Amino acid sequence: MVRLRYVIIALVVVGLGLFAVVYFSPSEEKRVRKQFDLLSEYVSKDPDENAIAMARKMQNLGSLFGDSCELQIAVEVLSGTYTREEISSYAARARARFPKLSLGVNDLQVTFPEHEVAKVTLTARLTGQTRAGEQRRETRELECLLKKTEGKWLFSHIEVIEVLKK
Amino acid sequence: MTSHSRIRRFFFPSLTPRFLIRVCFVAVAAYLFFGHVLIPIRIQGTSMEPTYRNGGMNFCWKLRYLFSKPERHDVVAVRFAGNRVMLLKRVVALEGEQVEFRNGKLFVDGGEIPEPYVLNPCNWNLPPREVETGCVYVVGDNRSMPIENHYFGQTSVKRIVGVPLW
Repeated sequence: MVRLRYVIIALVVVGLGLFAVVYFSPSEEKRVRKQFDLLSEYVSKDPDENAIAMARKMQNLGSLFGDSCELQIAVEVLSGTYTREEISSYAARARARFPKLSLGVNDLQVTFPEHEVAKVTLTARLTGQTRAGEQRRETRELECLLKKTEGKWLFSHIEVIEVLKK
Repeated sequence: MTSHSRIRRFFFPSLTPRFLIRVCFVAVAAYLFFGHVLIPIRIQGTSMEPTYRNGGMNFCWKLRYLFSKPERHDVVAVRFAGNRVMLLKRVVALEGEQVEFRNGKLFVDGGEIPEPYVLNPCNWNLPPREVETGCVYVVGDNRSMPIENHYFGQTSVKRIVGVPLW
């Protein structure tokens, strides 16, 4: 009887351990989501951000992208394929216009249509304040493709979905 | 039972199984109702002013179009990737109709549509375009900004989540 009780306790402990391992281990979906958290962190900007912090953020931002990333948007001029250096450079220039900037990502839906390819649809909200004190707010639906390269999920394609078509 | 003890029991109920079941039931019902039927929303932005003010609170009634379709002049909530972020816009044209703006006036199929909810002066010009099948044309009530700065256009009926409660 006593032995049976120990067996039951041991089974419960092992079960809880397995649950904890499965629950807390970083799954592929969590790794993909983490990339969006990092993207949000690197794009966002505080008014007291110094040049060194800015340079480090832009370098880190580039590391989230593959060798090239295709941007597809209704505005033809902006559509095209960009290298990670170009992305860092453009992002730095765009960020310079805003003393305060915040990128929020909502409603992330992650699927894996192919091996080592993740497709993510999300709502991106960019909120900023210009130097003139004007508040700017842009919200868009994005569809992103991330490819796993050397163990890292890197952005390879970003499409801005046209929710409202003029 | 004195009124004093009744009040005491109301604010400090004893944790009986019956009470816990009741709490669970209320919590689940509230989650389902306010998460899927009547979603609380906070209005951000000025595109629907003066009808809906920036910073206002409201609820999105999701069952409004369960047995009907959106009609002209309805204010609707349009979703992006999910229900966390939505646009509040007014339906001005339905599928198959030709919509255009001439000197700030709305024309549908060549006829002028009165818009008493537009109080700010507007000088928009938009060439005629036909609303595709399964879509409606939505615009905000605040037309005081240049047409390029206002996010409006044709959207799929499937993206319409519901209507504001008031």
